[in-house]
Amino acid sequence: MFNLIRKDLIIQKSQIMLFIPFVMFFAIFADHMSPFFIFLIASLYIPLNGYIYDEQVESNILLNSLPYTRKEIVAAKYVGSAVYMILSIAVAGIILYLFNFDFLFRDIVIAAGLFFFFAALTFPLFYILKPGNIGAFIMIGLIVSAALLPPALRFLAGHLTAITDFITSLSTTVLYISGTAISISLFLISWLASQIIYQRKVF
Amino acid sequence: MQIMKGLVTGFVGANGAGKSTTMKLIMNLLQADKGEIKVFGKQYVNNERDIKERIGFVYDSNVFYENLNLKDIRKIIAPAYKNWSDKQFYDYIKLFELPLNKAIKTFSKGMQMKTSLALALSHDAEFIIMDEPTAGLDPVFRRELLDILKELTNDATRTLFFSTHITSDLERIADRIIFIQDGNILFHESIKDVQERYKLVKGNTNLLHQKIVKGFINIDRSSNEFQALTNNAEEVRKSLGDQVVIEEATLEDIMFYTKGARQQYV
Repeated sequence: MFNLIRKDLIIQKSQIMLFIPFVMFFAIFADHMSPFFIFLIASLYIPLNGYIYDEQVESNILLNSLPYTRKEIVAAKYVGSAVYMILSIAVAGIILYLFNFDFLFRDIVIAAGLFFFFAALTFPLFYILKPGNIGAFIMIGLIVSAALLPPALRFLAGHLTAITDFITSLSTTVLYISGTAISISLFLISWLASQIIYQRKVF
Repeated sequence: MQIMKGLVTGFVGANGAGKSTTMKLIMNLLQADKGEIKVFGKQYVNNERDIKERIGFVYDSNVFYENLNLKDIRKIIAPAYKNWSDKQFYDYIKLFELPLNKAIKTFSKGMQMKTSLALALSHDAEFIIMDEPTAGLDPVFRRELLDILKELTNDATRTLFFSTHITSDLERIADRIIFIQDGNILFHESIKDVQERYKLVKGNTNLLHQKIVKGFINIDRSSNEFQALTNNAEEVRKSLGDQVVIEEATLEDIMFYTKGARQQYV
């Protein structure tokens, strides 16, 4: 499995060299942006790039012809993405620190939570959808959710005061812990779903 | 269908007959609707790693990351195998004159085939499966490749299974031939038996009585001459004797005439 995780680094060697300037760009020009957003983008950089690279070639045929099981191939994606997320956030943190971009530990926690949430939703798509359609699907998904989410949240805030009262009554610690727990559980459920889908796939 | 250990088995059939599908089934890339597949006597369930450890694969299209060079590809493939030998790999790279620092996408079809082959041969695979390895290669390299394959199988420890459209490849290196049509096996025999059993018969159409016709797999008639394929040359010789000319049938003839022939006649 370690080899499969390492593979994602090898296949995007040139992209990884761009990672540092990419984060530096945010550190210099995105001072109005919330730091958690920079951490989130940084953490998704390697895992998503890895999927996109894998799609361009018949990598499924290659990986499944090598002595790996399908379980391992999916596991490597999920475990690998968590490892790369931690490394990327660490590197991004160092860069932001060097550029005097203020951030709190809270930003990192929020980014990690959102990373798990986003990964849980998108990773299975790479196993369901046909290669080439995923980029379009994610773009449409983002636009639709950007359009629908704020009114939906406003509706919830306005009409379901019981829920909002409950949420605001929680202490921040409880809120963070439960948020993290929920997104990690979603990530694990997503892993299981991807594994089931991938095991039935034909190439 | 059984592929025999230590032999070279050629796999032929028309486009769409099911060759690639069979290969993918053997590689566990597809699931069988019915029947079961065993490789080295084992089923894929629970033995996937063991089986694939011992298989070398060559596909008809490039499956390697095309932006990477051979050095990087080696970094991905080599650690996957327990028996990987760097020495063997670099020996083949040298033999095939492949560049280590150029991206795979700049490779010609022949170079891509050599790449696949070098990777397939560097982990001491017992079973080498190749989907149309000679397609798109120039005649010189095709012959070189066949010689390399022949050499590999000389000591009978390796089993080779390859599909092809080029029937002369089979005549050059195959011990046995499996011929499929619409997913069914028409024959699976040694190349010697095929050449003995199948003959091309030429003669006058007025010889074609019902009983005689039944003995042919397929008949190609012109105004008063006919040409037909039989898989029972002995019988034809007995009944028609000198009235007809009996010639060697090439594999191409066999493929041509059996196309459209019903299976019971074969």
